[in-house]
Amino acid sequence: MTRDNRRSIVGALILGLAVVFLAGPAAAQVKIRFQTWHWGEKPVVNALEAYQQEFNKANPGIEVVRDESRYADKETVYTATSQAKAAADIAHFLHRAIPLFAERGYLMDLTPFIEREGGQKFLAQWDQHALETCKYKGKIYCINDYVNPLALLYNTQHFKEAGLDPNKPPTNPAELLDMAKKLTRSGRYGIGLIGSRQEGLFMRFNPFFWGAGAEYLTPDNKRSALDTPEALEGFRTYVELFTKHKVVPPGVIEQGAQEVRTQVAHEKVSMEIGVIQAPLIYKAINPNMKVDEVMAAAAIPSGKKRVSSVEYGMRVISAFTKNPEEAWKVYKGWISRDVQLRNFKIYGVMSARLDVKSAPEIANHKFAKVFAAQGPYGKIEPLIPEWPKIGDAMITAVQEGFSGVKTSEQALKDVHIATNRALGVQ
Amino acid sequence: MPSGRTWHDRHLGYVFVLPATLMLVAVLVFPAFITLKLSVTPEGGSGWGLTLLHYQKAFRDPVLLQTFKNTFAFVAWSMAGHFVLGLALALALNQALPGQTFFRLIALIPWTIPDVVAGIIFRWVLNPIHGALNPLIRMVIPSFPAEFQWLSSPTLAFPSVIFANVWRGYPLVMVMLLAGLMAIPRELYEAAAVDGAGKLRRFFHVTLPGLSTIILIALALDMVWEFRRFALVLAMTGGGPGTLTEVLSTLVYKTYFQFFTFEYASAMAIMMSAVLFVLSLPYIILVGRER
Repeated sequence: MTRDNRRSIVGALILGLAVVFLAGPAAAQVKIRFQTWHWGEKPVVNALEAYQQEFNKANPGIEVVRDESRYADKETVYTATSQAKAAADIAHFLHRAIPLFAERGYLMDLTPFIEREGGQKFLAQWDQHALETCKYKGKIYCINDYVNPLALLYNTQHFKEAGLDPNKPPTNPAELLDMAKKLTRSGRYGIGLIGSRQEGLFMRFNPFFWGAGAEYLTPDNKRSALDTPEALEGFRTYVELFTKHKVVPPGVIEQGAQEVRTQVAHEKVSMEIGVIQAPLIYKAINPNMKVDEVMAAAAIPSGKKRVSSVEYGMRVISAFTKNPEEAWKVYKGWISRDVQLRNFKIYGVMSARLDVKSAPEIANHKFAKVFAAQGPYGKIEPLIPEWPKIGDAMITAVQEGFSGVKTSEQALKDVHIATNRALGVQ
Repeated sequence: MPSGRTWHDRHLGYVFVLPATLMLVAVLVFPAFITLKLSVTPEGGSGWGLTLLHYQKAFRDPVLLQTFKNTFAFVAWSMAGHFVLGLALALALNQALPGQTFFRLIALIPWTIPDVVAGIIFRWVLNPIHGALNPLIRMVIPSFPAEFQWLSSPTLAFPSVIFANVWRGYPLVMVMLLAGLMAIPRELYEAAAVDGAGKLRRFFHVTLPGLSTIILIALALDMVWEFRRFALVLAMTGGGPGTLTEVLSTLVYKTYFQFFTFEYASAMAIMMSAVLFVLSLPYIILVGRER
């Protein structure tokens, strides 16, 4: 091969590569990675796939692609991928993650997009209390797509068998305890509680804690407020259902939300503090259970104060996305009225959109209307970056109370100290 | 006298090891450097401002100190369990019995199960309501409580996790000891028998001395592995009840990924690596001597 021939071949190769590199991106679709832990979970995946297909068909230049995470390590995955500047374009979280990720610069500020859509007028379509969970240090990092207030779910058949009126669920902790005692009989327990190390514990513990008039922190969020009689009362109400009154199944420390739902579905437990999707999950666990006939929902019998835990779900756009415009288009479509209403119909989730929350489909639904009514009483833990540490200390305290490692007084005293330490109080 | 090897020949080996070296740098040296840098970076800071505050804080952190104690106990009991069970099974499987290969395979099964799966299996086996263990015990002891709580008990949670870890990890020690046993010459046993040594004497005077190097290597490796054990503990108890089963790897994970205090978690990880390095010194020295 002559030198000229070699030069021609090398030149042609370089030209070919240049054409591929230059032409490639123009011809390719923009892929938007849509991350959630629900891709493998029926019936939620049906709603996700419906949106994915609908969006991809209507937007030939953009392709929504699935990106898997898992509930337990969604924050871990997002942290690691964000540090590599390779996080999914859109990712699914609960409200507790927002200040943590915003503080670290992992989230895109949506203000410019919102301004373009009409600013405050656009935002007025959503539950304003929910939207607060998307704001951090003057910026807005998300628009909630669902609100998950908790309610008491109870088995009316068990109520009848125990001589209780199924139309009169408990309205305060004393009644709850009384009824739980009557419902507890051989192989069946009055109420299922969560004691395992997961966010779900707070959702069940907090209504009793706040209901007693307790708070985690002082109003300025600078110090622990766990050294009050109210805090001890709320703590003991939850823990003693298991330790003293024995109306909770054994192994409470090992019980997560799904284990408790399984116990309800198999009629081992008569009551639980649950989420709106729980009835659908009972059906999936035990198709023989006539959930719509047997189960009923009511306000959580929280105590002096009427209060419910609430969980806010949201998507965020990564600060490292290479396609912010396309990501916003996908994002906006997901939080649209039609998609949100369809999501409720498919998997029973309640939208943070006011026009969906007030839709007849929800207002007339046996369970949804009760859950929707809890919204105004919904309360969340303090949204501060130190919360995970404080929350973990409280879970430790609850587990220590459940297992008898410490008395309620000592466990709460220790979490009070740990909270102040986390807040840097000397 | 010239060797006949060109510069090219002498250095070709470096080219061959270059990809592996680059890979090691990318997956080991670079993350280690980043972790070290983070551990001396002020909280929430960036750039090159250095501080030793995280190390200072770590030495005063009661949770970290308690977790160190838990980890040492976890490692010690796990190693003891692995050694006793591994040696017993290696001795049994070294006998010329029918179905020897089949039993050797069966004994290896726990090693093939991922940590997290083993953790979930044991969590379910020990579940007071649906678990298999309580009904099994009740078949032998009918008066045993039907809903006995293993993982919720402050006294039994830690031993339960160690038991699961012993089951999951003994095959590594067993396989190494079995290989060592197979390498001991038969003639030594025959000579000892001719000299009148019974089974116990042969074990203490032939088998154990013959295995001594392998035992040291197996235990040193096991110690390093167990010190890093993570998924099994996380899946079984998540460190609970309270912090009774918390080990260093789960605490570092929580501190980094749940508390988002990357810098403090990195300091913990560096301290953990330093302890691991010291613990693995016998192994490193031993391997060096063998060469």
